[in-house]
Amino acid sequence: MTETTRPAAAISVEGLWQVFGPNAATALRDARGAGTSSDIAKALADKEFIPAVREANFEVQSGELFVIMGLSGSGKSTLIRCISRLVEPTAGAVRIDGEDILQASEKRLIELRRHKLGMVFQHFGLFPHMTVADNVAFPLKMQGAGKTNRRKRALEVIELVGLSGREDAYPRELSGGQRQRVGIARSLAVNPDIWFLDEPFSALDPLIRRQLQDEFLHIQATLKKSIVFITHDITEALKLADRIAIMKDGEIVQIGTPEEIVLRPVNDYVAEFSKDVAKGKHACVESVMTRDVPDNMPDDPGLRPGMTLDTALAKCMSLYEPVPVRDESGMVIGAVQPSDLAAALQVEET
Amino acid sequence: MSIAQALPARATLTRGTQAALLVLMVAVVCRLLGGQWPWLVTWPTVLTVPMTEWMGTSVGWFLSVFKPIARAFSFLISFPMDWVSGLLGYAPWPLIVGGVTALGWMLGGVRMAALGAFGLGFVVLSGYWAESMNTLALVVVSVPLAMMSGLAIGILAFEYPRLKAPVQALLDVMQTVPTFAYLTPLLVLFGFGPVVGLIASAIYAAPPMARNVLLGLERVESDIREAAVMSGGTRRQQLFLVELPAATTQIMVGVNQCLMAALSMVIIAAVIGGFDDIGWEVLLTMRKALFGQAFLAGLVIVVFAIVIDRMSGALATRRRKQDRRVAWGILGVGVVISVWAVLAGWNPAEMAAFDGVADSVDAAVGGFTANHGATLDAVKNNAMFYGLLPLRIGLSDAVLPFTWGFQWEAWHSAVYYLVAVGIAGALIWSGRPAAGLVVVILMMMWEIGIAQLPWPMVIVGAGALGWVSGGWRLARLAVVLLSLILISGLWERALLSLYLSGSSVFACAIVGGALGLWAAVSVTAWRVLRPVCDLLQTIPLFVFLIPVLMFFQIGEFSAFLAICLYAVVPMIRYTRHGLITTPEEMIEAAKASGAGTWQVMFEVRAPYAAPTILLGLNQTILYAFAMLVIAALIGTTGLGQSIYLALGQADVGLGVTAGAAMAILALVADRLVQGFANERRRALGL
Repeated sequence: MTETTRPAAAISVEGLWQVFGPNAATALRDARGAGTSSDIAKALADKEFIPAVREANFEVQSGELFVIMGLSGSGKSTLIRCISRLVEPTAGAVRIDGEDILQASEKRLIELRRHKLGMVFQHFGLFPHMTVADNVAFPLKMQGAGKTNRRKRALEVIELVGLSGREDAYPRELSGGQRQRVGIARSLAVNPDIWFLDEPFSALDPLIRRQLQDEFLHIQATLKKSIVFITHDITEALKLADRIAIMKDGEIVQIGTPEEIVLRPVNDYVAEFSKDVAKGKHACVESVMTRDVPDNMPDDPGLRPGMTLDTALAKCMSLYEPVPVRDESGMVIGAVQPSDLAAALQVEET
Repeated sequence: MSIAQALPARATLTRGTQAALLVLMVAVVCRLLGGQWPWLVTWPTVLTVPMTEWMGTSVGWFLSVFKPIARAFSFLISFPMDWVSGLLGYAPWPLIVGGVTALGWMLGGVRMAALGAFGLGFVVLSGYWAESMNTLALVVVSVPLAMMSGLAIGILAFEYPRLKAPVQALLDVMQTVPTFAYLTPLLVLFGFGPVVGLIASAIYAAPPMARNVLLGLERVESDIREAAVMSGGTRRQQLFLVELPAATTQIMVGVNQCLMAALSMVIIAAVIGGFDDIGWEVLLTMRKALFGQAFLAGLVIVVFAIVIDRMSGALATRRRKQDRRVAWGILGVGVVISVWAVLAGWNPAEMAAFDGVADSVDAAVGGFTANHGATLDAVKNNAMFYGLLPLRIGLSDAVLPFTWGFQWEAWHSAVYYLVAVGIAGALIWSGRPAAGLVVVILMMMWEIGIAQLPWPMVIVGAGALGWVSGGWRLARLAVVLLSLILISGLWERALLSLYLSGSSVFACAIVGGALGLWAAVSVTAWRVLRPVCDLLQTIPLFVFLIPVLMFFQIGEFSAFLAICLYAVVPMIRYTRHGLITTPEEMIEAAKASGAGTWQVMFEVRAPYAAPTILLGLNQTILYAFAMLVIAALIGTTGLGQSIYLALGQADVGLGVTAGAAMAILALVADRLVQGFANERRRALGL
């Protein structure tokens, strides 16, 4: 399957189905004849089965931050649980570094989880009877690491997430944001290659959420993990993602870069999401540029294809002279720089 | 001592370590000096306060004052009693079977109707119809009394928050005082007869009703409450038109528990005799060693219990509306058969469809005990000689040449304690000083024997446990209450009760814990265990005695088995429940960290379930104490026996004091374990 010339993707998901109900595998096999994946899903739903994930296909490259976005009930949490095999998928293949983990034995799976995979949970999933350090060291304990090594590594990761000094506190003594830092630290303790995050910031206040998003990007910039990140928040997805997959009713409806999602939604459902998003921040000049170059172009504000629309607009406006502002009687009471107008419209960088 | 020297090296001692150290020091002093100063082991008789006599005189005086009123009440209540038992006794049986079946239909459709028809059909065929109706009459009269008073108590405690704490304390006492202990003063007060059973069951059945009413009212959502206030209702309108109806489901749970408690108590009250009910039948046949008949009568009780439990349980679940016409139809069929039965002269008392069964059960049991008598005796004797007896009188006395093959000498004790200190040293070395000290204390208890523990060790031990689990208040409560038993002269009997209930609870904890664990990991296991648990919890206490008697005759081992059978259920249920209700995300987090099934079980589920499992242990302890008194019927020593004897002699003083001592033991155990459960829950941040 894998070509020798090209390295395998970090994660590759092929034809993944998750159907809930008794004897789902047989039911799915019988329904295969129905035609397209939505026909199959409909046939299954008619028989009281719940097709939570239908025919998911995507690849996550090494070091890529892949975000899966969808509303509640769209199957995104089930999908990430299929990939990490916390639930048994009904059909399909999930390859991690070329190895199909759906075929892996229980023992091999535990081995993978102990060394290669890390996961962060929406409600943190901290163990209430363990201190911060013990929580963080739990995966290391599972590996069989010694007490002193565990502590040493735990303190390192705790420092990475900015919780130094709280290592002997219990989860109940921490705030929500601090708890999720512990969750993140725990998932990084064994230094995994693959990092699963299931709505890690959804249970937090907006301010804390933004702060943690920034720190998360910072951590990722240094660690370069291959990430599957689940969220229901389009702004979060656009802010973090290298690529986004949008899910609806168990189906992936579009996969693309933030720019593609915003500017070229495949259907109304995706368009609806990006309606409230400031497009200028995510789209680049390239996406509105035309290839037929007119003869007469006296002004050159210095645009580049990779520039965001917001920046480009500000650059263009800076070519103009200041314009007057008058009161009701027509007296000039001030002046406005057009480039300031453009800048004021931009969404502040968060 | 090496432990004492090793300890100061650690800068701070935890509360648990300090407490264990204190208990150990007291124990060592008592053990070493007990020979010279016997008062260190046994409380001197001179200092014993004749509490039993005082209690007898004061309660006797009190009772004599209220006797006329009580007798008048007894006279009044005998009318509804007679009416009901006359109604049930003379009504043709097809009519009653039809009535119950119709009721079953209304409550839960075909399934409940079938349960009613088959259940009562079995009773008719068994030939115990008249006795069963007498029992039912007692339940029918006592339950409304219990429900009304329970409802009133619940509402009062809810309306006047200041009353809540004392009411709950009163309910605790009403439920921890052993059932037999009620009977003696009631017997003196109300005179010989079924009225005593009736009043006792009303007293016993009221607390669950009151508790559930209170709980239900407290759980009414504040939105609903506020909507009633904003609609302009008076307080009374709010309560009766909104809050009580909103609490119906919980109140129905109370009705179910109330019915079951009443039935259980009515059966127990049969020991007073004088009323030809089904409990009396069991007792009579059991005394005559007619196990087949006892078994059959016991089955009738079980069938009754199941029918009442499932039907009243259906009240508390959401149910579909059934067609009334079907119920009338069933009743009509009952009337028709009744007419026919009266004309044909069918007498249910002459039914004996299962006498053959009873005889063959007798024969089978007889054959089994004859063939496997040696095995049964071996089981019993091994359990006694190697398990129960050493726990009771200690290894130092129980190890005899004719059972263990050698005589326990002083040097055995020396080696034994050396081993204990070794284990403790290892534990202290690995950083668990409290565990190390507790091991030494437990091994010491084993060597001395629970029934021979020096009193300072028990009292300081209970105080220390109280201090660790709930602070000074709990410690003081435990010490004061236990001291009351000590000076009352009932101490030795109390220790015997403690030994028997303690060893049963220990066995239940291990067996029940293991079964609960098994049920948590395997769905199939739970599918098998669940109906067994349901059944064991529905059966009235009394009936547990029948099977153990069949195989192991009268004696301590039988009592032990009966207690275990009854008390193991909560341990299984709570263990399983605790283990399976661990939040899914926490388990996923452990799995994603690479934990295997058993690692998840012991690293995550078990610690998380600890408070729930402790609550199960608490229930098991209370169940064990409740059964301990009933088990006095088949030969136990200790407080249970005293209570039972007092009943026979109408000795109010002994009955009340022994009952109070028993309640104190149960209450102290209950508070200590709950203290630990709360401490664990706080530690988990729940």
